[in-house]
Amino acid sequence: MIKIERLSKFYGKNQVLNSIDLEFKKGKIYGIVGENGAGKTTLFRCISGLENYKGNISSDYTKLKDHLGLLLTEPFFFSKITGKEYIQLLANARQIELSNIEDKNIFDLPLNQYASTYSTGMKNKLALTAILLQENNVFILDEPFNGVDIQSNLIITEIIQRFKKLEKTVIISSHIFSTLANTCDEIYLMKNGEIIKKVEQVDFNKLEKEMKEFTVGNRIDKLELK
Amino acid sequence: MIDFGLPLLIGYTLLPFVFILLSNYLFGNTEFANYVYGLIALSFVSKLSEPKRNNFLKSIFNKDKYNKLRIIENVIYCLPFTLFLIYKKQFILSIILNLSVVIITLFNFSTNINVTIPTPFSKKPFEFTVGFRKTFYIFPIAYFLTYISVSVGNFNLGVFSMLLIGITCFSYYSKIENEYFVWNYNLSSKEFLLEKMKTCLVYFSLLILPIIITLAIYFFNEINILIVFLFCVMLISLQ
Repeated sequence: MIKIERLSKFYGKNQVLNSIDLEFKKGKIYGIVGENGAGKTTLFRCISGLENYKGNISSDYTKLKDHLGLLLTEPFFFSKITGKEYIQLLANARQIELSNIEDKNIFDLPLNQYASTYSTGMKNKLALTAILLQENNVFILDEPFNGVDIQSNLIITEIIQRFKKLEKTVIISSHIFSTLANTCDEIYLMKNGEIIKKVEQVDFNKLEKEMKEFTVGNRIDKLELK
Repeated sequence: MIDFGLPLLIGYTLLPFVFILLSNYLFGNTEFANYVYGLIALSFVSKLSEPKRNNFLKSIFNKDKYNKLRIIENVIYCLPFTLFLIYKKQFILSIILNLSVVIITLFNFSTNINVTIPTPFSKKPFEFTVGFRKTFYIFPIAYFLTYISVSVGNFNLGVFSMLLIGITCFSYYSKIENEYFVWNYNLSSKEFLLEKMKTCLVYFSLLILPIIITLAIYFFNEINILIVFLFCVMLISLQ
């Protein structure tokens, strides 16, 4: 379990997270939704320990980060590292012995090509493969469906559902609501650095409708499309 | 220019002088300067033939405008070289060069080579993996220098070839690591640094081993210098 209490984060005078309280349990999938700049990525970075923060984040693990697979929105790749070497690098980092990496290439990526030449979706899939092979217990997936084709989308959704059976904790952010509705047990709505709503599975449709009404509203009418 | 710590204004003022200086140096020192100069100009202009940028231009402009634009930008890009060739009274070459840059506009090609260069260091990415791929040509040069040092009996040249590899390898560590990679390691800071140093020492030793063995055989009397060199390398690595 991961418990977040009164989590706040400032960038200079700008407060990006405001006294957040959250609890993530084992074997559950959590979704975080919110507009760009709502604070989702900062929240993930704080949980991972990549940012300093005010408040408290505790977990069942002595060092949460050693059990955490973090997929960043835009994974970073060095210019001359192949896909296979990237997977090897992340496995080495956790002292995981990997054999037959090609057999575990579920997204059929060109592993012998430089990862920096991959498309956005391929980069995402490579980064995801690498953290999946790290044997983590907790996963934070920031926009895992970003630029990913429909086939891989299905694979990722299935992986997330398998994690639930394996008693892993998964936290996902996505702008594609349907992907969250298909995988999550609970969805948290973030706005201006605060959690403004917690929604259980039974109310997902209602949330989607509310979000559409709230977000779209009559904005498009302003364009006077002809 | 700002990247090099030079204010823009000074940078752009200096640029023509540096260009003229280098061009003069080339023409003053090489018999085949004309051809080398032409090739440099073409490689410079070829940067504008990247498919990505040109596909973007094609999507904005119609065919006629696109062709005009590509010809004008290639000729402008080539202008400093053309002017210098005219100054050197190389009229025919300047015409050939300009015709070539116009012909280049008909083709789009990538100047970035993305062929995966095999490396013996892929088991432990990333410094040596990335570094080796960027500087792989240095190693044959260093080994060739060792061969020459043995052929002409010049021990110092052999030591220089070791230094060349040393400087090259240590340059791999000049790049700041991405925070995500450091974060991923489940080692303590001390263990992490020790691991890095171990990797550096092992791979560096592997690269200079052929040189050390060769020099130890052919310059046995100088073996104490080789030992001191190795000792210094170990000290530097441990710092």
